[in-house]
This record gives sequence, C-alpha cells and structure tokens, in this order.
Amino acid sequence: MNWEVIQSYLPLYEKAALLTLKIGWLGIAFSIVLGFVCAIIRHYKVPVLHRIVGIYIELFRNTPLLIQLFFLYFGLPKIGISIDAEVCGVLGLTLLGGAYMAESFRSGLESIEPIQTESAMSLGMSRLQTIWHVILPQAISSSVPAFVANIIFLLKETSVFSAISLMDLMFTAKDLIGLYSKTIECLAMLVVFYLLILLPVSIIGSIVEKKLRFAGFGE
Amino acid sequence: MKKIIRKIAAITLAAVVAAALLAGYAFAADDVVYRTVDEIKESGTINIGVFSDKSPFGYVDEYGEYQGYDVYFAQRLAQDLGVEINYISTEAANRIEYLQTGKVDVILANFTVTEERAQEVDFALPYMNVALGIVSHDDRVIRDLSEIGADDRIIVISGTTAETYLVKNYPDILLQKFDTYAAAKSAFENGTGVCWANDNTEVIAFAIENEGYTVGIESLGSADTIAPAVTKGNESLLNWLNDEIKALGEEKFFHADYEATLAETYGLDYEDTLVVEGGVVAAAE
Repeated sequence: MNWEVIQSYLPLYEKAALLTLKIGWLGIAFSIVLGFVCAIIRHYKVPVLHRIVGIYIELFRNTPLLIQLFFLYFGLPKIGISIDAEVCGVLGLTLLGGAYMAESFRSGLESIEPIQTESAMSLGMSRLQTIWHVILPQAISSSVPAFVANIIFLLKETSVFSAISLMDLMFTAKDLIGLYSKTIECLAMLVVFYLLILLPVSIIGSIVEKKLRFAGFGE
Repeated sequence: MKKIIRKIAAITLAAVVAAALLAGYAFAADDVVYRTVDEIKESGTINIGVFSDKSPFGYVDEYGEYQGYDVYFAQRLAQDLGVEINYISTEAANRIEYLQTGKVDVILANFTVTEERAQEVDFALPYMNVALGIVSHDDRVIRDLSEIGADDRIIVISGTTAETYLVKNYPDILLQKFDTYAAAKSAFENGTGVCWANDNTEVIAFAIENEGYTVGIESLGSADTIAPAVTKGNESLLNWLNDEIKALGEEKFFHADYEATLAETYGLDYEDTLVVEGGVVAAAE
C-alpha cells in the first residue's frame, strides 16, 4: 500500500462517489414513487393499468440492469431518442427499482387482512379514509425491511454504470488501474468507498425498521 | 442502542478482516504466478489473452471462432509449442491484471509497448507498428486537436494508449471513457463525442468499414509498436517468444498474417507500414 498514491487518487474517488450517490439517490427516490404507484394499481386491480404494470414489473425484474442500460443508452438513439448518460443511469435505476419496490410494497399491502378494511368501513370510514388511515400505515410498516434491502441492492447496482461511460466508483477504479496499474490501492479504496456509502444506509435502515415496527401484534 | 454499537463493532471488524485479506493479496502478488515454457507444454494448454470485439485484430466471427491478426499469430504459437489454446477475452484496461495474476500466459491483444507498461509486464519483440489516430463524423472533421472546443468530448477506451496520451498531453480536453471497444463504437455511431481517439490502425479500419466517417488525424503521438506481453520475470516464455518471432521472420510469417487477416480491410497499401517482421522495426524513412 502506497499512501501517497491513495492521497493523490482521493479527489477522483470523491468525485466518483458523489456521482454514484447522486444517481443512486435520485434513482431510489423515483423508484419508491414509481413502486408505490404501481403497487397500488396492482393491489386494487385498476382496470387495464394493472395488466400493463404487471408486464412492466415482470419485464424489469427479470432482466439485468446492464441490459436495460444498454437498451436505453445504445438502443434508443437508433430510433432517434438520445438520452444523456446520467439521465439514462437514473432512468435505468428507477425502472429496475420501481419494479422491485412495487413488489415489496404490494406484499406489505397484501399482508393486511381484508377484515381490517371491512371493519374500518363498517365504522363509517370512506374507502379513501380506510386506505389512508388504516391500510397504508401498516403496509408501509411491514414493507420497510424489504425497502431497505432494495435500497442497498440498488446502490450496489450502480457499479454497472461503467458500461454507459459514467465515471462512477467502479469505473474510476478500473480506469485508474488501466492508467497507472496501482491495483491494490485502487481496489482497497473501492471497497472502503462502497462501505462508506452503504454502511450508514444499512445502519440507519435497521434503526428505521425498529421504529416503524408497529404493524402486527405480539411485540 | 447497545445492539447498534455491537452491530457497528461487528461491521468494523468485518471491514478490518477485508482489509487484511487485501493486504494478504498484496503479499501473495510477490509470489511467482507465471508458468514457464515447460510447465505450459506439460499442461497441454496455453492461455492467451486476446480481444473479442476488435475486428480485424482480435474478434469472434459469426461462427463463434476467434479470428484476426493477433489470433493468427496465437494459433501459430500454440502450434509450435504443441499445445491447445485457451482464449481469454480481455478488455483494454485489464490486460496487465491478467498477466500479473497469472490468469493468462501471453497477452496478444493489440498491446502497445509503452514505458509505463514495461514496468508492469515484460514485452517480447514487436510484430506490428502503431500510432494514434482520430476519426470524426464527416460533417465535422477534426484535423487538429486545437479544433476541440471546451465542451467537446473525445471518445476513448479506458486503458488504451490513446487515453494515456491525451490525459498526459492534453489534460484540458474532456474525455468520454468507455470500457469496451464495442461500447465506444456504438456510442460514437450514436453521435456521442465529436471524435474518437484510438490506435490509428483501428480508426482507419473503422472509417473504411463504416460510411460517414473520416480519419482527420492519421498519426498522433509517437510511433509505437505492438508486441506480445508476458508476466514480469517470465524469462523462459519471453526468450522462447523472441526466438520464435525471429524464426518467423525468416518465412515472412507476419506478411502472410497481414494478407490473411488485414488485407481485406486495409488493402495491401498499408502492409509495409504496419507489419514488423522478425522483431526488427525498420528505421523511419
């Protein structure tokens, strides 16, 4: 290990980490919104839309992100749609994450017994009130662990962005190795930077999981 | 709270173990990882690192077979050693790693000889000449690097001499880096970047094979050579390769190689410019 080398690479890694974080968090934020909407459409079987959403989820859950990115970045320009690499990254992550988030959230929705809806409505709540005050809080609570797992998964998926020329952590490391052959330093820094990004997520995630565990009985 | 502290402690421990493993790898790297000629012969197979996406030098054809100038040479090496070839598809950026970890015996992936690389691997005698070249779209042909604007980007492949050259000599020019030849090619065709810097052999081949492109700069940087590379310190294989290249010069092997693999793309005009026979680079005219 050569500490001077590590020091001289630090700014490049910081820049790469910021890009990874920027694309990662934007993609995750959008995928939560998308997943939420899709899950509701699927759960309440909105006519026509729920079939389209079903196809979308199966398509994106069962193809690798790398292929989705290739399609967005190299395929779409062939039919006249040119998208900037960063936007492609966010879009790819959103579409992939949306499909995963939708399934996690749907499992949360489905874990709530129908009797709760029936009870709430028999107490005079409207359908929307039932969803908002009774179903959603519990569904969110029970899908939090899956959400956190998805977030970590999506952040790690950013490591394939090098395929579309985004200088994320992985590509920066590979590129520096190619340029200067300081393999050990580059790989060690890569591990440390990913840990720096992901450890807080996993720690905060487990705290949030505990705080939000109010659905269900017997605790 | 206790649980969280315990968790952090456990994770830190895991990180330390990971770091220790990496450090262990650093020490292990000092061990001998290469195979001598005798060991290769004994095992019956030689591992050769080639490109799989770089027509006409190293590529996989429509039947799934490796083809090209480098591959033609690889086949001859295996034949003369009396062993089978196990092709390993490499990317530009990981050619050195493959040798340093002993995963390949020889790299024959259009590997340009440079001083920096020679510190990491051992190069045998050269078998081809090369310089850098720049290809642009016909509607805006770049004939000099001073034409590159502040917001313009040049496409390069990560780990190539074009990247090193531009990073070192033109640090202000923005580069759009791709990790494979195929990705760079697709992106360039889609209109990413104003031009593409790569080995001149490749940009010339690209402009010949695809319509709408012009090589505005045919030769940039220093005139370099391409040579086989082996793991640093593998004297036995290095000496064998050098003898082999000298012997092949007698029968004009690389001219035959050129005619079999490159002539279709370049025509015969470039034959004497590109081919290095017997490891002897002709003095510049």
